[in-house]
Amino acid sequence: METTEKYHFDVVRWFSVAAVIYLVVGTLVGVIIASQLAWPVLNFDIPYLTFGRLRPLHTNAVIFAFGGCVLMATAFYSVQRTCGVKLWSNKLAWFTFWGWNLIIVSAVITLPLGLTSGKEYAELEWPIDIAIAVVWIAYTVNFVMTIANRKSSHIYVSNWFFLGMMIMITYLHVVNSLAIPVGMFKSYSIFSGVQDAMIQWWWGHNAVGFYLTAGFLGIMYYFVPKQANRPMFSYRLSVIHFWALTFGYVWLGAHHLQYTALPDWTGSLGAAISIAMIIPSWGGAINGMMTLSGAWDKLRTDYVLRFLIASLAFYAMSTFEGPIMSIKTVNALSHYTDWTVGHVHSGALGWVGMVAAGALYHMVMKLWNTEMYSNKLINTHFWLATIGTVIYIIALWISGIMQGLMWRDYDAFGTLTYTFAESVAAMHPYYVMRVVGGFLYMLGGVVMLYNVVMTIRQASTNPSTSAEPARA
Amino acid sequence: MTSLQEYFQTDWAAMTSNDWVGLIMTVVVFFLMIAIYVYALHPSNREKLEAQRFIPLDEDRLDTEGRK
Repeated sequence: METTEKYHFDVVRWFSVAAVIYLVVGTLVGVIIASQLAWPVLNFDIPYLTFGRLRPLHTNAVIFAFGGCVLMATAFYSVQRTCGVKLWSNKLAWFTFWGWNLIIVSAVITLPLGLTSGKEYAELEWPIDIAIAVVWIAYTVNFVMTIANRKSSHIYVSNWFFLGMMIMITYLHVVNSLAIPVGMFKSYSIFSGVQDAMIQWWWGHNAVGFYLTAGFLGIMYYFVPKQANRPMFSYRLSVIHFWALTFGYVWLGAHHLQYTALPDWTGSLGAAISIAMIIPSWGGAINGMMTLSGAWDKLRTDYVLRFLIASLAFYAMSTFEGPIMSIKTVNALSHYTDWTVGHVHSGALGWVGMVAAGALYHMVMKLWNTEMYSNKLINTHFWLATIGTVIYIIALWISGIMQGLMWRDYDAFGTLTYTFAESVAAMHPYYVMRVVGGFLYMLGGVVMLYNVVMTIRQASTNPSTSAEPARA
Repeated sequence: MTSLQEYFQTDWAAMTSNDWVGLIMTVVVFFLMIAIYVYALHPSNREKLEAQRFIPLDEDRLDTEGRK
């Protein structure tokens, strides 16, 4: 395997396999907590298994375990190939792998025990926060130094997106996690009141904007042209996409705090920039899709490409829906309802999960220098993921809008028409639908894991099938 | 004063040094972004920038050459 000798790909292989395992584990916890919402008896009165403790475990597993391993695998893979050099430090890459996985294990232990800072998407306590910063900086330094050693004069745009993510997440994570420890597993944020809320959502939305968007756009700009075997539609559009996204995203956090103690103008500013962000987001989505211009027929036979292009459709949908929800009149209905949860999952399952699956399938074939064990199973995974996502988001659109309408409906005497408990009871059928959608998505992950394991076994037991790099 | 003027009314005297640092950085970055747009969209830069589209596809050719 010449390509493996030319580059440090062993660590990429481990990150790739870990990502697929975490996809199954993270979505399994998601299905469990979705089931607890539909059937509360499943909390079993065991504190370690209650929704409140498992929910952060789910978000940490899918965002940081699955998403993190995907980002580390793809960044380390594509930076070597686009720069024509090995990773600056293989040892540092392995430190990143084991460090990141140790952090994931720490999350699996501490979150069910109820050890949490209480900050959404940043629940882990201060010793783990410090470990995250150290490992993340190791990842960043290795990436930057690999670029610095590159053979090519130009830095390809996917590396710009990865780099933007790395710099911004370092900054966001460190500032948001600033806290005063009062014990080994307890700390309090140095921010308080409305400033704490603003910092929280400055982090929260930019974790979406840089970690789950810029990073995964880096994946899109490398893997879509590679899988389609065609150059991207417009490089200039990708440059504009990068700078507009980088400038715009940092403003959006305040739209999570409409109608709160935050000054009114900050929410309006966040919403205004959110609307403006539709332009670069759609520019990027169109840029990715139009890469297939003149070769749309590839979608009939190339199931990996299907994942990548379908993910762009979900990216376009969720980057339109988000700005609409940030407008104050829409937000008055949507905020605190399941609509927000549905919106997040259209981005997470549809965009992040599917672009990651496409990239992982592509990499597995290249890294083990073989075809996938079963193309049919890739197609099965694609349809399970697509149908699962659609069922999930439709269920939460309906339940979210219904919640919003029930909560603000009042009668001729000015009394609320429905009690909160009545609105909870009305959600039941949609919560069951969500379990079905999430289960289908998780089943797709199981199919992927089986296919990847069998592909690796096939490559190691029958090297003759891996004579040529797979193009499928 | 119209309601729009009232909405955008700013008490400049109340601006803290943090406010000024943030304002200046934002305005400077905004104009840098405009400069990048002009650079990226200027017809004279089209060929140079669009040539970079082929980087992911060229690396396969390099791999193949490396195997020979």
